[in-house]
Amino acid sequence: MNLIALSLKGLRRDLRASDVRALFMALALAVAATTMIGFFLDRLDRGLTRQAGQLLGGDLVLEQGQAFDDGLRQELRQAGLTLSDQVDLVSMVSQGDAFQPAGLKVVDDHYPLYGQVRVDRGDGIEGLAHGPPPGSAWIAPRLAQLLGAEIGDSVQVGSLALTITGLIDREPDQQAGFAGLTPRIMLNVQDLDATGLVRPGSRIEYELLAAGSPAAIDSLDSRLDALREAGVEIRDVRVDRPSLGRSLDRAQKYLSLAGLAAVLLAGVAVAMATRRYVDRHLDTAALLRCFGASQRQLGQLFAWQLAWLGLAAAIVGALLGLAGQAVLLSLLTRFLPLELPAPGGMPWLMGVLTALAVLVGFAGPTLLRLKRVSALKVLRRELDPIPASGWLVVAFASLVFGALLWLYSGDLVLSAGLLLGGLVALIVLWGIGQLLLNLLLAVLARLPQRGLSSRAWQLGGRQLARRRQASLGQLLAFSLTFAAMAIIALVRGDLLTTWQAQLPTDTPNYFAINIQPQERDGVESLIDSAADSGSGLYPMVRGRLTAIDGEPPRQQVPADHQTDGALRRDLNLTWRAALPEGNRITAGEWFDAGTDTASDGAVPISVEEELAGRLGLSLGDELTFTIGSDSITGRITSLRHLDWESFQPNFFIIFPPGALDDFGHSYITSFHLAEGDNDMLATMVQRYPGVSVLNVEALLEQVRGILGQVTRAIEFVLGFVLLAGISVLYAALTASRPARAHEGALLRVFGAGNRTLARMQWAEFALLGFASGLLGAALAETAALGIYGWLGLEPRMHWLMLIVMPVLGAGVVGGIGFLLSRGTRRQAPMESLRLLGET
Amino acid sequence: MSYSSNDQQTRILYANELGKRVTSGERELVILESLALDVDRGESVAIVGSSGAGKSTLLGLLAGLDAPSSGELEMFGQSLSTLDEDGRAALRAGRVGFVFQNFQLLPTLTAIENVMLPLELSPRQDVAGKSRQCLERVGLGARLDHLPKQLSGGEQQRVAVARAFVTEPDLVFADEPTGNLDEATGKRIIDLLFDLNRESGTTLILVTHDMSLARRCDRCLKLEGGALHEVVQRQGVEA
Repeated sequence: MNLIALSLKGLRRDLRASDVRALFMALALAVAATTMIGFFLDRLDRGLTRQAGQLLGGDLVLEQGQAFDDGLRQELRQAGLTLSDQVDLVSMVSQGDAFQPAGLKVVDDHYPLYGQVRVDRGDGIEGLAHGPPPGSAWIAPRLAQLLGAEIGDSVQVGSLALTITGLIDREPDQQAGFAGLTPRIMLNVQDLDATGLVRPGSRIEYELLAAGSPAAIDSLDSRLDALREAGVEIRDVRVDRPSLGRSLDRAQKYLSLAGLAAVLLAGVAVAMATRRYVDRHLDTAALLRCFGASQRQLGQLFAWQLAWLGLAAAIVGALLGLAGQAVLLSLLTRFLPLELPAPGGMPWLMGVLTALAVLVGFAGPTLLRLKRVSALKVLRRELDPIPASGWLVVAFASLVFGALLWLYSGDLVLSAGLLLGGLVALIVLWGIGQLLLNLLLAVLARLPQRGLSSRAWQLGGRQLARRRQASLGQLLAFSLTFAAMAIIALVRGDLLTTWQAQLPTDTPNYFAINIQPQERDGVESLIDSAADSGSGLYPMVRGRLTAIDGEPPRQQVPADHQTDGALRRDLNLTWRAALPEGNRITAGEWFDAGTDTASDGAVPISVEEELAGRLGLSLGDELTFTIGSDSITGRITSLRHLDWESFQPNFFIIFPPGALDDFGHSYITSFHLAEGDNDMLATMVQRYPGVSVLNVEALLEQVRGILGQVTRAIEFVLGFVLLAGISVLYAALTASRPARAHEGALLRVFGAGNRTLARMQWAEFALLGFASGLLGAALAETAALGIYGWLGLEPRMHWLMLIVMPVLGAGVVGGIGFLLSRGTRRQAPMESLRLLGET
Repeated sequence: MSYSSNDQQTRILYANELGKRVTSGERELVILESLALDVDRGESVAIVGSSGAGKSTLLGLLAGLDAPSSGELEMFGQSLSTLDEDGRAALRAGRVGFVFQNFQLLPTLTAIENVMLPLELSPRQDVAGKSRQCLERVGLGARLDHLPKQLSGGEQQRVAVARAFVTEPDLVFADEPTGNLDEATGKRIIDLLFDLNRESGTTLILVTHDMSLARRCDRCLKLEGGALHEVVQRQGVEA
């Protein structure tokens, strides 16, 4: 017997059956979801790394106070990196009688490595992939304003006169840091020597920017460590992703979660459709046994048949996934580099693997029943092989799903935890489901017998309760479906709310620093007069951490943080009576009001928790800061969590008021200014020339933009999960159709009218949907507790869901069930019974 | 007591001391006991009996669909008691055809696909052509692509008859083939069954409670009290 050919033929003939279509749909959806998310995350990750590289100026940025030697350049080039040199310094520039300090950015011909400089050369803003040519300079509009200069004018930089040929709108590697806050002037590296600004003792930062593949950068790890040891400051795209990091990390986790939810839902659909598939093929199997097929041949025949189905679904699903990821990516194109690597082979492989795993895991044990069928069934219909134990099916499917979880997350403990939690939840649900069915019967028994409606509800309820095992199975499957759909929808909502709350429309888009104490009131009232919102003024003292518990910091911090940036540069210190908005105490206590010293005389300080973690600091440790020629020691009395993505002034170290009074300080603030409201800025610059104003609108816009695009991507994926959920409902209701048709036919034989039957079926489905919605809501709420923690979101209760889900469940299951059973109501009872072999 | 033609060369089916017991709770129920049967190639044998006499059980045993509790059973000279279920299936493959009371057509397969099914189990040439011929022979040449639900009961049984004969089997078992049909349709099916039996020289074992049908067989055996008794063949039949 040519089993392969026969299985193909059988499958082709079987395509007429609704369960095979349901199986195909569920599998294709599972594969589409996983490949789509796989392809998308893979390419998004690469795109975002590139994006981060753009914000940094390169994948790797090396910085030191002297020029880099050619040996290092050679080494980096050999590793496959493209290099660009940049020099940063602050110098006075002048035009006529106007003098202004300016931040010089000296770039070579390779600048920028990523992205474009947006510059106005007199014909409107355009994007250019190079810096200014020799002999010319591009300057920030603010500098032009301060100097009273225009395009075509000459600007004196050191001893060189350069022609202003452009006004800089945006630099691709514009950073939100506070280095070089003086207005920008960009010139070509070939002009640097002629300026005469490079002299011994000049404060110049040399930067070597490098772009290349992650593998190329990985290969340099030990060399980079050595450079760090030698005092070179290194910004690395792999670790120094800008502040978008956490939001996108959540988004990626969300997408993975959604993918797994889709796989789980598809798995449930496969399990339900397989039951019907097997039931329907028992006769085929028995006949084939009669015609001489062996058990082994039967097993192989059906395994092949499903394998073909799985393969076809995998191909269709993968193609759908490929198209889906293209849609997802098109939603994000604005933020992705032009040259994206082609989709890799891995997601394809994972897609096929997922289809087979779902098929084996969710259909396997049920399918074995076909092998065990007796040939005698052709003579005695009742001789069905015993169905696989429900728990065996669940246990096997859970194991396979757990393995998939592990494969996707790479986290064994998480996968095992989820799996165990899921199984416990299932057992609890089973118990609750039994109780619910009993309760339902009890309530229905008390309903008055009058009226067609209440009779229909009673009949429908009894039908449910009578088919207890089948009803429980459906209840569990639907609860799981609703829970998965609800979690994905809830998380989406809360994720978006969190993002919106994180960056409301009045999020500060300007920072002002270097505000001297005597300027404080004036600046504050100026900001209050024009800004929509502001963070308030924070005093700022710059100090270097020079001792931990009286010992040099390097002796105290963990070995892998010896070269931490916080030890190598001044930190911004502030004082504050109240905990700043957006900060949260995670250990210890905030300062008592009115006291600035502890009982033993130590100054209490509050430290940001991530810094404390990196430096191995804990409550009670004493930190000494050197400020100018003096020093101050504080004892850690609290650790704080703060939101680095808030666009508010944030501080690693906060002292109580009064503790830093003896030290010179300036103020910093952030505020939101409506677009185009530049008068206030001009006034501020003129009235307080020492104050530096930094525009972070561009960065803010970029963050908002990415979050906006990711939001659309997430909604697209949510749609997919909902579709997977519908496929479960379809599969389950298709599976139970013959039994319902039989009951319907019998009831019609006994005199039930079409209307009664329709109402009864609607009532049965609606009750099932209501109970599933209720259970699903409870399950979603419980699961959300864990999932929210994993995503770093604040857990919250969704009380409304407990009302909405049951009603929605009743509507959806009732509606779909009612529509799917329409055919059975239309059929003459004789026909229904004949088809079922009853006449 | 054995009912046989006593010709070892042409023997198709042989049963001796055949018994079937089932346990129901603590009670053992004897369905068949010390049953003997010998059927030759080309013979047609009717097994009659009242409802619950065990006719279908006997048919299941004779066709190797079930294993006896005791006794000897041979098909095509091969002892069935030494074979497991798969071995018995292999023995049936391509050599045994079935016609059932409830037709046993697969609802998602068309008429021709249903007929092709037994042929596809063993490598053969022109499966579709043979199946078409067979369906034409039973008068359904115009309904090849109809699904069972689009056919009447009589037409469905004709498809089943075509399926039973398409492999040109040595032995055909028919279990109440007219049980689900009206008298006129049943008669047409029986005519067809005997015509095909005669044309192909197939051995036919027919289980029925319809005496007019049994009358058309070469021999008629009555199952009673778990054992077979030969019904004397006359012009009429003793019931």
